[in-house]
Amino acid sequence: MSTALSAVVLLAVVAVAGFLFLRRAHLLYRVVRLGKPAGRTGEVGRRARAEATIVLGQRKLLQRLGPGLMHAFIFWGFLVLFPTIVMAFLAAVDRDWTLSWLGHQGWFFLVVDVFCMLVLVGVAAGFLIRKVQRPARFEGSHLGEADLILGLIALIVTTLLLWHATQIALGLNEWPAGWSPVSNALSGLFGDGDTTEALERVFVWLHVLTILGFLVYLPYSKHLHIATAGINVWFGRTRARGRLEPLDFEVEDEASLRLGSGTLVDMTWKQMLDTMSCTECGRCQDVCPAWATGKALSPKLLIMGLRDRLFAEGPAVLAGGEPTPLVPGAVTDEVVWDCVTCGACVRECPVSIEHVDHIVDLRRQLVMAEARFPAEAEPMLRDVGRSSNPWGKAQSERASWADGLDVRVLEPGDPAPEILYWVGCAASFDERARATARATASLMLKAGLEVAILGPRESCTGDPARRMGDEYTFQTQAQKNVATLDDAGVTRVVTSCPHCFNTLGNEYPDFGGSYEVTHHSELLSELIRDGRLDPPAGIDAITYHDSCYLARHNDVLAAPREIVSRIGRPLEMARSGKRTFCCGAGGAHMWMEERGSAINEARVREAAETGAGTLAVACPFCTMMLDDGVKQSGEELRVADVAVLLAEALDRS
Amino acid sequence: MSVLVYLEHADGAVDEPSLQAATLARSLAGDHAPQALVASDTVPLGLGGPLPVATVYVAAHEAFGSYAPRAVAEAIVELAERQEATAVVGPGTERGNEVLAHVAAILDLPLAANCIAASTTDDGAEVTRVRWGGSLLEHARIHAPRTLLTVQPHAIPADTDAPAPPAIESFTPSLSAAALARRVVERVGAATGGISLADAKVVVSGGRGAGSAEGFAPVEELAALLGAAVGCSRAVTMAGWRPHTDQVGQTGTKIAPDLYIACGISGATQHMAGCKGAKRILAINSDRDAPILASADYAVIGDMHEILPAISAAIRAAS
Repeated sequence: MSTALSAVVLLAVVAVAGFLFLRRAHLLYRVVRLGKPAGRTGEVGRRARAEATIVLGQRKLLQRLGPGLMHAFIFWGFLVLFPTIVMAFLAAVDRDWTLSWLGHQGWFFLVVDVFCMLVLVGVAAGFLIRKVQRPARFEGSHLGEADLILGLIALIVTTLLLWHATQIALGLNEWPAGWSPVSNALSGLFGDGDTTEALERVFVWLHVLTILGFLVYLPYSKHLHIATAGINVWFGRTRARGRLEPLDFEVEDEASLRLGSGTLVDMTWKQMLDTMSCTECGRCQDVCPAWATGKALSPKLLIMGLRDRLFAEGPAVLAGGEPTPLVPGAVTDEVVWDCVTCGACVRECPVSIEHVDHIVDLRRQLVMAEARFPAEAEPMLRDVGRSSNPWGKAQSERASWADGLDVRVLEPGDPAPEILYWVGCAASFDERARATARATASLMLKAGLEVAILGPRESCTGDPARRMGDEYTFQTQAQKNVATLDDAGVTRVVTSCPHCFNTLGNEYPDFGGSYEVTHHSELLSELIRDGRLDPPAGIDAITYHDSCYLARHNDVLAAPREIVSRIGRPLEMARSGKRTFCCGAGGAHMWMEERGSAINEARVREAAETGAGTLAVACPFCTMMLDDGVKQSGEELRVADVAVLLAEALDRS
Repeated sequence: MSVLVYLEHADGAVDEPSLQAATLARSLAGDHAPQALVASDTVPLGLGGPLPVATVYVAAHEAFGSYAPRAVAEAIVELAERQEATAVVGPGTERGNEVLAHVAAILDLPLAANCIAASTTDDGAEVTRVRWGGSLLEHARIHAPRTLLTVQPHAIPADTDAPAPPAIESFTPSLSAAALARRVVERVGAATGGISLADAKVVVSGGRGAGSAEGFAPVEELAALLGAAVGCSRAVTMAGWRPHTDQVGQTGTKIAPDLYIACGISGATQHMAGCKGAKRILAINSDRDAPILASADYAVIGDMHEILPAISAAIRAAS
């Protein structure tokens, strides 16, 4: 083929491929533009850092070293090989054309050969994982599609190596052949006759056509993530992982009132982009406590269900059609209510999908627009708003845990306290959890701190209502509590409950309440460090269970461990720290019936496997759930809050 | 002043909340005794005993053989307009509130639900009503040509010292087709049968201490002797020993018996939220530190599998 003819053919092929790609890309772009606003602007520094670590550095993928390296080899390989694509397109037109400078650099071709081999190793590892190891996280994923994509990647790299080999055999290489160990070795397969001349053309064109085919296939497959993941990571959450986006109830007209996600047009554009970024790797499914205990929810299948609905209905909606309800069409009611909002999926996801936000938005619609939710949770929603606590207890009993302790109950008009102890409903009312409040308060007193509480004026933060989807009740509580706290002149809050900790610290700023919020484990470890509490060392084996809202959502890992290692012999569970496994109470599940096997029992068994006799916790809900789990499973474990354990250790001294 | 009271009844026996509603209605009726309406599919209806009303109008229609709230509301509206009633009062039960809500919707007038006191004013009435599950009393004025209210059940005593039985008159209301569309067509009893947990005067519950589904035998035995309903804790339904319909707790049934016998139940907060309406709690538990002991009026420390059979034997011996 002459240079001119080759150029015409290549341009024609590129034009067709480009048209097919852009047509699909434009459609997807218009679908995403249907989405509601999601903020996510500003904070360029944090976004750039996320892009550098999560995308370029493959940080999330490398949390699992084997599959992570497999992906990183392929990903880094293609970054490095990008100039060779340009070179191949040039050479497809005329075999003597190449990039003017780079095409002559020996070191570059060494890098190319090395990364070609790494990509091939990655592909081989990918097949090995999928065909031999077959991890459960792929259950429900499109496996055939993945095989095709791995095959295409292998083909692209192989044709590149063979093309370079034939170039070397024919003496067409503009770089010293010695720099290309693999291509140079392969060149021995070829002579310098007509056959090789023809093969050189075949390989370069096969290479170019495979790349263009891949380009067209991309936006129709789950491999779309190549185009979307980088964008999705850029627009991911930048701070306060535990914070939910508030709904705006003060809208001008009712039509613009968004009550979560009813149909696809209620989703935010970020949520739509989430679904298009999913590559069905199943890391989320692997860490999901609901899925692990036989429930209907898999975060992966949730996102896939929403994506399928988006692709099925999006084009029709763009043409003026009416969207249909997401629940139960795309996602079943069961799935929506199985979530414990532990955030394990969000933390694991390599492309910054925010599964919990999807779930909460679906719940908001069901609760506030349709009043459709598990009936047994209704008393909780009512009691949070009506009785200021989720169990409908009398507020007058809120401070009775403090009977006999020198605890100051703040009356309106009292001078502002240095530290306010925000006890939380669980530690205020539940007999088991009250031990935590008593221990925390008495330790603060022992260390010479004043303990001031709001008593009957403390009211549920609204967290369970919010996680249940009842945003309205939550905001009512938030406004009420911010007014109480501001009236009392509170600036610093210590709380025993990780849920209150998260809500007060991360969510109340949205309602005008800004306080320095500390968890009691942080305060107590600080008092130990300062020598104001000096417990004797202990020998008991203690395993510490991280609360999701403390560890994963808020990075409080070290403080409770400092207490445990000071008073006993710490033993870590298989899943700990930010990769902790939920106790089963989150997402308002404290007030819902559980289907399938029990999450708390699974966690208690894991704790018992460490051989520890004590299961330390730092959350009153974890206390209740795991204590129940011990009784249900018959394991020999004592569940106690770190504050209780610390107080006991000091009593012994 | 003509006041009309809607009375609920079961086969002619007017229930307690309706008698309380009639009692409160008198405070709006001035010198005249209120008039009443009952809905029935059987005429004549044998209303037993004296009632604190002058006349009972029996709205007769085959639709009233089962619960048909909109139809009852249309009958009330028809009679209220015929009698030129200045107020319509009903019991603040679930059904009473629903019927009166329909009346309010038909007349396009405000309804004050769950009142415990009422008096007339120049342009309507002044009421005291229970809000937020009993934690708040609200004083409110109603400005309306016809006062509509329901009376909070069991908040005021019923006056049954009427001098004479009321006159009974029947009338046939003209009901719209729409009103007849919504009614109960079939009743399916709960699978377990027996006494309803929510209404039982005595409830005997078992918890994790029962040990197994079979471990409920002594609980059921005692319940049968006492004419009590059988309940259980969440741990029991989680373990699959009893159906969820038996669960006492915040996520199950809320109960308000005169006596609650909780056996082998530790008393988790969610359970106590379901039985806080109990007048007396007897806890039987082997754990002296069980949280339920803090709320129990009586406690027996010991194994429920020994104590329950002993109580049952004692009851048998005594009867």
